Amino acid sequence: MSTTKRPMSPYMLGPYYKFQITSVLSILNRLTGVFMSVVTAPLLLCWLIALASGEEAFAAVSLWLGSVLGKLVIAASVFSFSFHLMGGIRHLIWDAGWMLENSQVRFSGWLAIVGSVVLTLIVLGAGL
Amino acid sequence: MNMQNPLARVRGTGSSGEGSHHWRSQRYSALILLLLSVWILWLGVSLAGADYASASAVMSSPVNAGMAILFAGTVFYHTQLGLQVVIEDYVHIATLEFAMLIIVRFACLVAFLISAIAALKIALGA
Repeated sequence: MSTTKRPMSPYMLGPYYKFQITSVLSILNRLTGVFMSVVTAPLLLCWLIALASGEEAFAAVSLWLGSVLGKLVIAASVFSFSFHLMGGIRHLIWDAGWMLENSQVRFSGWLAIVGSVVLTLIVLGAGL
Repeated sequence: MNMQNPLARVRGTGSSGEGSHHWRSQRYSALILLLLSVWILWLGVSLAGADYASASAVMSSPVNAGMAILFAGTVFYHTQLGLQVVIEDYVHIATLEFAMLIIVRFACLVAFLISAIAALKIALGA
């Protein structure tokens, strides 16, 4: 039997591993981190550079941020930030050796989902 | 000649060759960012839709300028550590992996330097 086609670890997608809240939140924590690295951080950097460059550059960036695409990117960034923040808090709690029972991990997972949605809505609502 | 006891040499370094340094650095930067998240969320909300004059006024306060530089330093360090793990896990072509790791390090360093200089320029009104 050929062993070359075997999935390599970590390989949580496809038919090899059942989807469950632990694996889904784990990959989402990575995805939101990568999204903030390639979209949110460059955007914040552009905003800061524009503010340092003068009124004209700042007006151009502000105009883009106010567009439909800009608002979508901001909303996705705020959600990613909230989600990654909740995921990070879970990881820090686990690293301290707490909440490691299966039932507790599932519970904190749902808490993180609800928490990140609530925080996203609060931030977006307050920023309107 | 190495005067170090073999046990002392191997203790804490493991297969990574640097022990738990990367892991700990990721957690320490996460802790700092957890504290700074209150500041960045407040800043984002209070500067949403702000014009040039009011944004400059907020960012030229020494407290906000200092926090911005601290935040940029911690965030781009955390970004570098996080992207490094993702690349190491999913990129299995050795040369491409090496190139990506170098690029990520360089990009994060440049991003931090630009942020710090921009924040200083705004704060000093230059």
